[in-house]
Amino acid sequence: MRIELKREGGVAFFPGLNRPRGLDLASLPPETAEALQRAVREARFFEQPATVGTAARGADRIRYTITVEDDGGRRHSVQLLEPVEEPHLRALLELLKQAEKTQRASARAQHP
Amino acid sequence: MRPHSRHRHSLHCILPPYLSREIARNGTREQRERILRTLSIDTTFRSMRVARGAMIPLGQRLIPSPMMVESQLQRTIYDMKNTEALPGTVVRTEGQGDTSDVCVNEAYNGLGATYDLFWEVFARNSIDGMGMPLHAHVHYGENYNNAFWDGERMVFGDGDGDLFNRFTIAVDIIGHELTHGVTEHDGPLTYFSQSGALNESISDVFGSLVKQRVLNQKADQADWLIGEGLFTDNVEGVALRSMKDPGTAYDDDVLGKDPQPGHMRSFVKTWEDNGGVHINSGIPNRAFYLVATQLGGYAWERAGHIWYEALRDPRLRSNAGFGSFARLTVMAAGRLYGSDKDEEKAVRDAWNQVGIRVSRERAGEPAWGPGVQLPQQAQQQPPTH
Repeated sequence: MRIELKREGGVAFFPGLNRPRGLDLASLPPETAEALQRAVREARFFEQPATVGTAARGADRIRYTITVEDDGGRRHSVQLLEPVEEPHLRALLELLKQAEKTQRASARAQHP
Repeated sequence: MRPHSRHRHSLHCILPPYLSREIARNGTREQRERILRTLSIDTTFRSMRVARGAMIPLGQRLIPSPMMVESQLQRTIYDMKNTEALPGTVVRTEGQGDTSDVCVNEAYNGLGATYDLFWEVFARNSIDGMGMPLHAHVHYGENYNNAFWDGERMVFGDGDGDLFNRFTIAVDIIGHELTHGVTEHDGPLTYFSQSGALNESISDVFGSLVKQRVLNQKADQADWLIGEGLFTDNVEGVALRSMKDPGTAYDDDVLGKDPQPGHMRSFVKTWEDNGGVHINSGIPNRAFYLVATQLGGYAWERAGHIWYEALRDPRLRSNAGFGSFARLTVMAAGRLYGSDKDEEKAVRDAWNQVGIRVSRERAGEPAWGPGVQLPQQAQQQPPTH
């Protein structure tokens, strides 16, 4: 399974963070990969609409796009506008951000 | 009726009626002019709005003149305890002393500094001009890398500690978020493309003025950075944006390079970031910086008044482009300080330097209103910048 996270918006635009970041679950520690797979399942990700949350008033909100591709070749994207109220989608988003941060830390340790 | 009891800030209760009377009587000529200019904002717009009749929504009624109103600073800080379930728990209300939580205190003081700028300099009573209570929610989410305005309140994350520090650390960011509320009430400027970039720029302008006023800095002493202190040491960069030199705030392996242009020739056309609202805001940001440094002194005094006047101008449409906003600032400068004076010239020159030309004819008289003759030639088209 591959998961991509794209982040848009917020109080500033960062080209580096705006690029979609791919996570190949096969290359993650098994417990992280398992937690992510479970989160995708519990969020019923493939049944979610293309956009969750409405762009009401306000400014500087972040918009996340999660794309999941499973090993059977199914691919689906969901755009989340914060605050993300649906608990399972929020849990998935939290796990992805955490995994991304861990990846960044290990990349930094390898190439200081 | 306001449901909460309001704290009355004794100094603010007295200041406008008493002090402005004193200044009018005993102040220097400059002080007198300044106070009269503040008081005149209302009547200028009253006549404009009468002319525009029913087009002004009821919610946008004129703020009472400062002679008749008292400060209604009323702050409430909520602790989200790292959840995202708004509103969280109240941890500090108006008049209460410092807590042991630095985020709470920074938010409280930042709201106060922003309120004070709008009240003491622009005679505006809070976000809506009618004393709206201010709510800030700190410790939102886990490692949350953002601060936003949700239409009613400000929300601040703690940052992940990896790229970002806590978002209350920068007082200009607090001012930035609150100013989104002001723009929503007065503009409003649609959060997309050029009008969205203007919306963003106005938040940076007044956010920066909040910071400069807290630090008591004149235009040439300010760093004109937005969000200085937000980055951790892991990031190659000084701030989120630079109004003085857009595009130079950061250049980092993870964040990428600051994409802001400072001139129309580098205007970025994109569908991302709501059509580049945080990108192209560099252009009007730099125009404001140029006006403020050209005029000298405290940036909120003349440059700030000109921008505020333009923001409140009923002719500012929700889909305004840079060109039409530029034109309103030139007209505001002429209205406030006299036509063809240094101020109007500085504003026109500044826009010119970022690639936006405001012609003399178009910046002259309003295109509508009582007694205005329409030009003989073909009717004016809306600016197409």
